[in-house]
Amino acid sequence: MIFTDRTFQTLLSREILRFTRVWMQTIVPQLLTSLLYLVVFGIALGGRIKQIEGIPYLEYILPGIALMSLITNSQMNSSWSVFDAKRERYIDEVLISPMSDLQITFAYSLGGMLRGVVMGAGVFVVGVPFVGVQIENPLVLLVIGLLASFAFSSLGTMVGALATRVEHISLITSVIIQPLAFLGGVFYSVGMLPDVLKVVTFFNPIFYTVDAARYATLGVSDLNPYPTLGMVCLIAAICFGGAWWAISHGPNLRY
Amino acid sequence: MSVGVNGVPALKIEKLRKTYSNGFLALDGVSLEVEAGKFFGLLGPNGAGKTTLINGVVSLARPDSGSVEVFGRDAFREFREARRMIGVSPQEVNLDKFLTVEETLLFHAGYYGVPKKKARERAEELLERFELTGKRGQRTNTLSGGMKRRVLFARALIHNPKVLFLDEPTAGVDVELRYKLWGYIRELNRGGMTILLTTHYLEEAEALCDEIALINGGTIAAQGGSEDLKERYEARNVEEVYMKVIGHDLHG
Repeated sequence: MIFTDRTFQTLLSREILRFTRVWMQTIVPQLLTSLLYLVVFGIALGGRIKQIEGIPYLEYILPGIALMSLITNSQMNSSWSVFDAKRERYIDEVLISPMSDLQITFAYSLGGMLRGVVMGAGVFVVGVPFVGVQIENPLVLLVIGLLASFAFSSLGTMVGALATRVEHISLITSVIIQPLAFLGGVFYSVGMLPDVLKVVTFFNPIFYTVDAARYATLGVSDLNPYPTLGMVCLIAAICFGGAWWAISHGPNLRY
Repeated sequence: MSVGVNGVPALKIEKLRKTYSNGFLALDGVSLEVEAGKFFGLLGPNGAGKTTLINGVVSLARPDSGSVEVFGRDAFREFREARRMIGVSPQEVNLDKFLTVEETLLFHAGYYGVPKKKARERAEELLERFELTGKRGQRTNTLSGGMKRRVLFARALIHNPKVLFLDEPTAGVDVELRYKLWGYIRELNRGGMTILLTTHYLEEAEALCDEIALINGGTIAAQGGSEDLKERYEARNVEEVYMKVIGHDLHG
């Protein structure tokens, strides 16, 4: 079995050890950044925007900020983990072990997912008392958090497996993921955008995850939440498929 | 009548062919059989295909065609069973920089499905054997070159493989470690472990190996016991055999 196999479980525990061992680099700074967003945007913009759809601005942006952190951390974790292992060739140890490529892909992606979930949960744990909000639908929030982090961690696995230079990783993070995260409706409702930007937003996968998380937390969203969840499942499936392909066919892996 | 394990070769490679993406033909239909329990030497110049051959067996290189069996198990269709029987000590150091020496061994054992308790016992044994006990808690990226080599050997052995691939194990290793290493590998071989060694040190190969294959340009140029090869090529030692076989090819 894929998940009950000790080989798979060992690689997953190695992935968890990797980010928890260097928690001062992997967890603390990112959490601080999120809280800064909350403070700076919440207080600076909150003074002007006051409310969106009847929700105080600070509350409105909380789920999006948590998701933004969750997504960028999941993606960075697996990108760097796979890329480092490849650059220093210790991925060979895993590639020649009795693990299948599917198990390897799952282990790296689930490792990144856990880092993302830890970060997202961290923002909620610190942010909820600070903002003073009650989570409407915790179960849906958990599901969306797991799905979104799995999707972007898989994307990270794919990026790490396909990258041949360090710049590829930083480029994907800073030129694609971070702008998409900022334009994913974290700080505003799509309803506030001009038509052209509205249409563009519908092509941004992060928008769906942010919108669903907002529904789960506050009960308001731009879209009907359940088709949105379906959309996030689809995104996760595509990303994971890509990651699996990249682990078996990526450059400098099995040549 | 049941078919026993006896007679099944440790490694059976047939017509293995590998072209790299840049068009370089690294293996040109190599066929090779390594009997179980043998100490087998694979010799040849740089770029002859030694490492590609090893990588082809463990699926690190994807062969274009040909077949590989490890103790009768198809290395591609039954990769789990086949790979579990193989230990590899690679030419280049490739230790996981996030792990300590002890963790390197325990995690490796886990990747091969060895139960935790068994892995701990084996790790103790190997840490002792390679005099790594004092370094067990140290991260691998802080070790000296010789220490890293020791960890590589211990790692290759932690899951108790039936066949051990040693790819240039003594390159850059001091005399003392080399001496100890060969003593230990001989002991393992006497205990039944099949050894496949690639090396540039021809005297080493002559002294250690029951059988030698010379590989050049992606094919096996000669194969046999060292006495047998010396006789066949009218040579005084394996070095002369090597020069006659490979040198002949080099000069066209």
